[in-house]
Amino acid sequence: MSGDTNPRQTWHLAEEDLRAYDRGELAPPLLWSADAHLAGCAECRVRLAGLADPAVLDAGWARLDAELDAPRPSLLERLLLRCGVADHTARLLAATPVLRRSWLLAVTAVLVMTVAASDALRQADSPTLFLALAPLLPLAGVALAYGPVCDPAYEMAVVAPLHGFRLVLVRTVAVLAVGLGMNGLATLALPGYGLRALAWLLPALALTATGLALTPRLGAVLAPALTGGGWIALLAVAATGRHGDATLPPFTAAGQGAAAAVAALAVVLLVHLRDRFDFAADRTAPTGGPYGGTP
Amino acid sequence: MTVTVSASGLTLRYGGTVALDDVALRLEEGITGLLGPNGAGKTTLLRVLATAVPADRGAFTVLGHDPGTAAGRLAVRRTLGYLPQNPGFHPDFTAFAFVDYVAILKELTDRAARHREVRRVLAEVDLADVRGRRIKRLSGGMRQRVALAAALVGDPRFLVLDEPTAGLDPEQRMRFRELITRTGEGRTVLLSTHQTEDVAMLCHRVIVMAGGHVRFEGTPAELTARAAGRVWSSAERDPGARAGWRTGAGAFRNVGDPPEGADLLEPTLEDGYLLTLDDTGAQAVTR
Repeated sequence: MSGDTNPRQTWHLAEEDLRAYDRGELAPPLLWSADAHLAGCAECRVRLAGLADPAVLDAGWARLDAELDAPRPSLLERLLLRCGVADHTARLLAATPVLRRSWLLAVTAVLVMTVAASDALRQADSPTLFLALAPLLPLAGVALAYGPVCDPAYEMAVVAPLHGFRLVLVRTVAVLAVGLGMNGLATLALPGYGLRALAWLLPALALTATGLALTPRLGAVLAPALTGGGWIALLAVAATGRHGDATLPPFTAAGQGAAAAVAALAVVLLVHLRDRFDFAADRTAPTGGPYGGTP
Repeated sequence: MTVTVSASGLTLRYGGTVALDDVALRLEEGITGLLGPNGAGKTTLLRVLATAVPADRGAFTVLGHDPGTAAGRLAVRRTLGYLPQNPGFHPDFTAFAFVDYVAILKELTDRAARHREVRRVLAEVDLADVRGRRIKRLSGGMRQRVALAAALVGDPRFLVLDEPTAGLDPEQRMRFRELITRTGEGRTVLLSTHQTEDVAMLCHRVIVMAGGHVRFEGTPAELTARAAGRVWSSAERDPGARAGWRTGAGAFRNVGDPPEGADLLEPTLEDGYLLTLDDTGAQAVTR
């Protein structure tokens, strides 16, 4: 609506129509008539402004104000917003390096190759190569989601009022959801193994929880590296003692039970150590390139 | 004047290296400069005061809050603005998006209120016009201002700035000094720097650190006064001088204990700083 009152304006909107218009309850064709009239009648616009609830008007302006400079959300953010995630949480997740396209493409490529190799070999009772690798991907993803090495704004995040453990949890849940989802899709590509192809799930949870629980003491790089190394060493030892094509112990029922127990213990330890995430994981002075943090 | 920060006995070791050794200090409203050579413990002190790392021993309060407790730490962080030595950015973010991200970390979850605050701080550092530009396309000086804007979110009363003028060209440095002067009004600012000019131009107090110790605490004038009668000019470098360098005019400027009848010069803050380091054995001052 623009301009002053048309000098040839000879009529004005009725009070009750204006109120209905303000409430959004005026129906066509009266609504179209009111729209056209308000565009040319400053007097009726003033009357309409007088009817509106100031609090509602202020809220409307605030909403408009907020949208003026709002950056265009990334694809990931738009997806999260569509899923009902709050806008501030979506922004926190958008700053998670491993939720970006390059990481997701790399993980997809690794999974496709591993599944193809496992399917092609089909020598053993279970797709060992896939089961060995799949738990490492969520571990690596979570490790790369937080910490001075991968989060360029880590130092600012550490001293912010938002509790460090909360930020870790938000990102862990998001990365786990994506990582486990991708692993799950890869599992579907190995239908010949049935449920045995899902034997990566509990080890994945155990490794991720253990890596996180060790982070306050060992740092954001060493903790997941040692955890992943331990997993590989365990598999190597198990493979050495294997008889024929038997399933490796970590992927048997007993092994799955042990993985569940380790995961539960690590979660308890993690909760116990939650305040340790309130400080920088690395006590040495940070170094970085022009964007910081990047080694 | 109200004491904003009060610290005593702060000690921190990295393995066998003592980064902070029994540091005590008091900060009041205004800008305090923190001078010292590389490895003096400046960044470590700033990280401790910013609650990024806990000290091994000692205690401090910020506006009466003790960061040794979870509740006190949260209260300190709500009054704090921190610009680290290497402020990291998510390079694909725009200036607005990055400051918005930091605002979320500072608990501003209401979208409208948060965006108003982001616009306010970007305007405060004169970046309103480039708020939609990606950070990787901004100059070094502009990136520093984005980081300062992020530190200013929430109108903190205690600002910790770690070498904010490092790597800036003279024009950018001057603009940044103006900004610090402006943003320092009504706040307590602790400014770490290698540049004695920063301290001379901006600070009402100065702390000199070396080897993890506080070697001097006072006004810039008091630090300069330490070199009174200890700076002289000579045609050749005086071998008895603790430091000496040829000036643009061709004569040597010597700092130390002058010989009888020396041609004494007006001391500068840098002279006082060099002598403070040398007097404490912190650094061999030769050029």
